[in-house]
Amino acid sequence: MSNKTMQNSSSGAHGGMPKSSGGSGFFRWLAARWQENPVYSTGAVLIVMVIIQTFALGFDYPSFADWFSGWSRNWINILRNNASVGIVALGMAFVIISGGIDLAVGSTLVAVGAVMMVLINGNVNGPLTALGITGVPAFILGILAALLMGCLIGYLNGFLIARSKVPAFIATLGTMKICRSVTQQFMQTVGVKVPREFTAIANTKIGGEIILPVFYWLIIAAILVVVARKTPFGRHVYAIGSNERAARLSGINVERVKALVYVLSGLLVAVAAVINVARIGSMDYANAGSGYEMDAIAAVVVGGTSMSGGKGSIVGTVLGMLIIAVMNNLLNLIGVPPFLREAFKGLIVIVAVLLQKKDKLA
Amino acid sequence: MKVSMKGIVKSFGANNVLRQVDFSVEGGEICALLGENGAGKSTLMNILGGVLQPDEGTIELDGKKVSFHSPAQSLHAGIAFIHQELNLINDLRVYENMFIGREIRTPVGLINDQEERRQTEDLFRRLDIRIDPLSKVSLLDASYKQIVEIARALMMKASIIIMDEPTTSLTDPEIERVFDMLRTLKKQQVGVVFISHKLREVMEICDTYAVLRDGVLVSGGLVRDTSIPLISRDMVGHDVRTEPLEQNAGLGEEVLRLEDLTLEPYYRHISLQVRAGEVLGVTGLLGDGRSEVFRTVFGDMGKYQGQILIQGAPVRIRSTRQALKMGVAYMPRNRKENAIIKDMDILDNGTIVTLPRLTRMGLIRRRQQLKQFEAQRDHLQIKMGSPRDPIGSLSGGNQQKVVLAKWLMTHPRLLILDNPTQGVDVGAKEEIYDIILQLARSGVAVVVLSNEAQEIIRVCSRALVMYHGDVRAEIAGETMTEANIMRLATGG
Repeated sequence: MSNKTMQNSSSGAHGGMPKSSGGSGFFRWLAARWQENPVYSTGAVLIVMVIIQTFALGFDYPSFADWFSGWSRNWINILRNNASVGIVALGMAFVIISGGIDLAVGSTLVAVGAVMMVLINGNVNGPLTALGITGVPAFILGILAALLMGCLIGYLNGFLIARSKVPAFIATLGTMKICRSVTQQFMQTVGVKVPREFTAIANTKIGGEIILPVFYWLIIAAILVVVARKTPFGRHVYAIGSNERAARLSGINVERVKALVYVLSGLLVAVAAVINVARIGSMDYANAGSGYEMDAIAAVVVGGTSMSGGKGSIVGTVLGMLIIAVMNNLLNLIGVPPFLREAFKGLIVIVAVLLQKKDKLA
Repeated sequence: MKVSMKGIVKSFGANNVLRQVDFSVEGGEICALLGENGAGKSTLMNILGGVLQPDEGTIELDGKKVSFHSPAQSLHAGIAFIHQELNLINDLRVYENMFIGREIRTPVGLINDQEERRQTEDLFRRLDIRIDPLSKVSLLDASYKQIVEIARALMMKASIIIMDEPTTSLTDPEIERVFDMLRTLKKQQVGVVFISHKLREVMEICDTYAVLRDGVLVSGGLVRDTSIPLISRDMVGHDVRTEPLEQNAGLGEEVLRLEDLTLEPYYRHISLQVRAGEVLGVTGLLGDGRSEVFRTVFGDMGKYQGQILIQGAPVRIRSTRQALKMGVAYMPRNRKENAIIKDMDILDNGTIVTLPRLTRMGLIRRRQQLKQFEAQRDHLQIKMGSPRDPIGSLSGGNQQKVVLAKWLMTHPRLLILDNPTQGVDVGAKEEIYDIILQLARSGVAVVVLSNEAQEIIRVCSRALVMYHGDVRAEIAGETMTEANIMRLATGG
């Protein structure tokens, strides 16, 4: 044990590279940085990708202003298209740092979205419309109900995992199946129409661009950075993910913190559901949100968070999401067929974890 | 077979862990490798076991120069390294474990269970091991697991076996069992390197010894030519005190009282009381239930029967959080598993308990956090770099002090210390004893759980000896002797 600590301290003191790692200089450097703080290397990778993407987009424009507007429109597109899954990924980061996993996010999104759409229904047969509540009050009630329901589904997961000790993978796999199937069954015969005014939540143009979802994403990310770093709850999540036993013996209410992590995840999924419904004005119960769990996990992992818990960051998760998004965009720009794009996503996740694995040796 | 290591040098970065160390052991010899934590014992043996490569120096087997680049190579040459964390697969049977990774196959390629069983039985008979090869490893107690692991090494034709602190988690009868095994090995001309902290065991079982201090071989020779005080002095570099420390007689009010506390199958009918300013010792062998009693008091064991009174008031303790609020602090045994949060830095590890009290509007007040921790750091004389360094960068003793610090910040009324000097070197041990007594003087009720009789005698004014979940006796003053404690702890 003694020599391990010595290796640690010496590599820290000299900012040195791990002796055991192979590969070429750049990758060694990257792996070493990754160990110190994954956010830096994730950021570096992102910058490299943005440069490549910029070149792929080309400079074939009559003027700089034209080029810039094309470039930034492309960027706004990227950010907007990834805002909801980016928000879901933030919750996933907390879950994974606590040592768990939440597979239910995608179908929670559908369930929550469906309930909200029923409440804000523009058709005359909606339950709130029948009570004479329409317009903004109905929207507020609908959104509150959605957020509450997100929390409830999250709490159900959390309860199963923290109190009943069902493995997180299994518990959320169960709720994942339940949520989507029940939603599909009930919504079969219910016709809903999202009122035009509701879509303003996401589609109001600012400076001529639809950019609100991106703001929501960034604001929530900023809040969660503070939660993760500066609140006892945040520190407790890390502590539990790193050593649950020690956390309990430090007087931390492990069950409560774990349950809260899933509640947070559910809440953020509900926010994503509101944004999705407002963006599109409808919802495809069979497909909406499907794959969100995997995309969110991918973003978290690419962002340098360890699947075994205890390590990771919110900033990293945002960067991880952006890396995957830019990659998608890049593949699109250079004309890689859509079916193949998923393969690249898979590749980047594996590479990220390979870089992380080194960490175990130190 | 004779192994000799000559002029071994090894450094990690700027840290010289081994400096020109010579070490040798031969068949039929049990050699103790001694030294404080960080003295370089593990590094030296990791080099012999092929885990690490030396920077300089040579290894010779029967006079022939060899070099090992992996544990497999070293094993192939006949050197087996049995680590502290045993390498057995609990869900498999004993004979299956004996052949794991080198299964005997039938011509079709399936595992030849019959042959594996037969060879295991043969070996066990030869070594006089009374374990059923068909039983599951998970059903064996710690000493038999140790023995299976030794037997496996022999099955692989090992002629030198390195054992890293093999007795740490064993009870006395279990230790005796392992020692019998070692004596058998010796007769079979197997050489053993016995890494240990327990000098009494060394005197009992070993033929030769070698002491490392700060990476230098400081002494060595025949065990019968030396004594425990001499060896301890070589290990620490100065004399070690063993006499009881001065106790303060002024006791305050009762802080903890247990009435007929029972939690089957761990312990039953435990009644005791601890007063402010007192250091109560509770000792016994592994499995005596003392940890479970006090984990119950700390709310970590769930439901119990009987009554717990804190400062005279009856309470029901259901969670660690609740115990914490009542002024109970518990420093667990097995620091690595129970107390250290390895992914967090020193500061967070040292303040994790009190974080909720260090907030303003829900946010942690960093400056306050740092200030309080630094106060403890100075008070406990924790040797460390930046508070933002990883907790793993500290030595065992300093890690233990960080754990202690996080509890002292809660200003506990009752402080329970479970094996407080486990994996802590001799110097830091003394410092921890001083801290314990100082806390008692300041009016804290302290309970020290320990399996080291000397530790109990040294710091406690009064002690309970437990045996299989029962309190055997209370000892104090005249009756507090090592012999007496041993007798009571073994059920005598």
